[in-house]
Amino acid sequence: MRWGMVINLAKCTRCHGCVAACRIEHFLPLRLTWPRLVALEVDDGFSVDVSTYPVRCNQCKEAPCVQVCPTEASYKREDGIVAVDHNKCFGCRYCVIACPYQNRTYLSRKRSVNYFPGHATTGFEKKGKDLYPHVPGTTEKCNFCMERIDAGLAKGLKPGIDREATPACVNTCQARALTFGDLDDPYSNVSKLIREKNGFVLHEEYGTEPSVYYIDYRLGGALSNKAPVDAQTGHHMQHLSTVYAPSKPKLAKKYED
Amino acid sequence: MNARTARQWMVPHEWMIKPMAQTEWISGKGLLVWLAEVFSALGTGLYLVSIFFALGSEFEVTAFWTGILGWIGVAVFKLPLHFLYLGKPWRFWRAFPPFSNAWRTSWFSRGIVFTIIFLGFAAVQLVLQGLIAYDVASGTGIDVANYIFMFLAGVCCVITSIYCGFAMSYCKSVPFWNTGLLPFVFLLMAVADGLALIMGVGLVTGEDVIPSAESATRILLIINALLIIVYLVNANYQSVTAELSVKELIRGRVAWVFWLGIVILGIVVPLVISIVSYFTGAEASAGLLVFAIICHTIGAFSLKYGVLKVGIYRPILPKGRAY
Repeated sequence: MRWGMVINLAKCTRCHGCVAACRIEHFLPLRLTWPRLVALEVDDGFSVDVSTYPVRCNQCKEAPCVQVCPTEASYKREDGIVAVDHNKCFGCRYCVIACPYQNRTYLSRKRSVNYFPGHATTGFEKKGKDLYPHVPGTTEKCNFCMERIDAGLAKGLKPGIDREATPACVNTCQARALTFGDLDDPYSNVSKLIREKNGFVLHEEYGTEPSVYYIDYRLGGALSNKAPVDAQTGHHMQHLSTVYAPSKPKLAKKYED
Repeated sequence: MNARTARQWMVPHEWMIKPMAQTEWISGKGLLVWLAEVFSALGTGLYLVSIFFALGSEFEVTAFWTGILGWIGVAVFKLPLHFLYLGKPWRFWRAFPPFSNAWRTSWFSRGIVFTIIFLGFAAVQLVLQGLIAYDVASGTGIDVANYIFMFLAGVCCVITSIYCGFAMSYCKSVPFWNTGLLPFVFLLMAVADGLALIMGVGLVTGEDVIPSAESATRILLIINALLIIVYLVNANYQSVTAELSVKELIRGRVAWVFWLGIVILGIVVPLVISIVSYFTGAEASAGLLVFAIICHTIGAFSLKYGVLKVGIYRPILPKGRAY
């Protein structure tokens, strides 16, 4: 059994629902995000394609982070999930640098601040400290909601099919761009999608064998996977593009003023 | 929270699309890693050179004090600096067997383990070397024991010196580091640093180590210069991201570190002083030697800084333009 995820780029509307769901599920500190939405624009001179890549830990089969970890705090479970034991991690950040997908974050004390700095801790944060404590000085990353999977399996549920045993981001995706399932099962929903829609992984040449696959028309995919033009250039995306302002310094300056 | 802060949080996403430099090991608290690695190079270089000079009977006192300085460089500077950098320093013991078997795959773990072993063997060897150097005790037994510990400490010292290069070259995420040449660049530079510093020790002890050290430095600096050129040319053709790192190093914001620190102060100045003394047949004056040693040491600091600073991540997404 090897849990995996398929992300259909043509379906993603960049609503940030997965990011929010993850934050709530794991009581993430304010300046820490496990999944990220990366906006990508490809301009060939004639037309512009807009894609959103939801990225998260790829749960690699040959995970460099596990191999470099000097304390064995990063370990691989039998179901393929790469997890971090926060009682073992001593915060050397070697895994942060070695991860070819840049999906690990060091939780410094600077990052681990209240949701409203200078004000009292919210009830949500207090609850989080009890239910899902984060340890400053260690490294964090997506773990495919392994607690949900374990609890679901104990109840006889099937991850990827039953919501209670499925990662929070997959459950919350309103466009159904995320699919979760067993990569080792050739008849699972994820295996079928990868086969039929020419799923691909990021940087296959690293030989890390990621468990997160993407479906897109551009890279290894069929043209039928392409999202409608309207969806690519919708007003909500135009709006969101201004949020990612750093590469547009003039625009950023304008908003700053 | 103002709008500016909110936008800054979005910046990290850029590193996935654009080639962005790593910051964990060179910015903020990461500067401790840089300093630790410099002291690692200076300390191990000094110790390796001290072994070389301890093999003869002429330079026993210089070899002893050089070894002591090398040991201090590793024990008093390198290890504590690494220790301070850790997020949870008091858990450092978790890197050692039997608490962890990570040494099988992790160069970081191997490095820490071998550093500790090196310090142990080197401490014993230096005690023996001190006894021999100051004629407190003598005999075949002590000599043999000294050679045995010298060999053991020397092997561990080479690994301590080289592991940082291997740890960095393992990172596929940073193509500029991802080459087998890096550990050897670091090792040879460490030995050259040691040779430069032993001349300073020779000035204090009065033993005539300078001619031998100078001739070895001359050859090693030329080899190092060639190795650095090969390393940069290799990186230039390796990948687009590695090429960017090279450009950043020789033409970008870090160029002054490369040209002034590594090339001029680290290689050219000591080499010119050494070559002039070779051709004139006259030994360089003490002042000039001290100047060369200082220049070379600045070069050691610059090399590690430059290499760490231009470690640029390969973007994870295909070519495109970030918003």
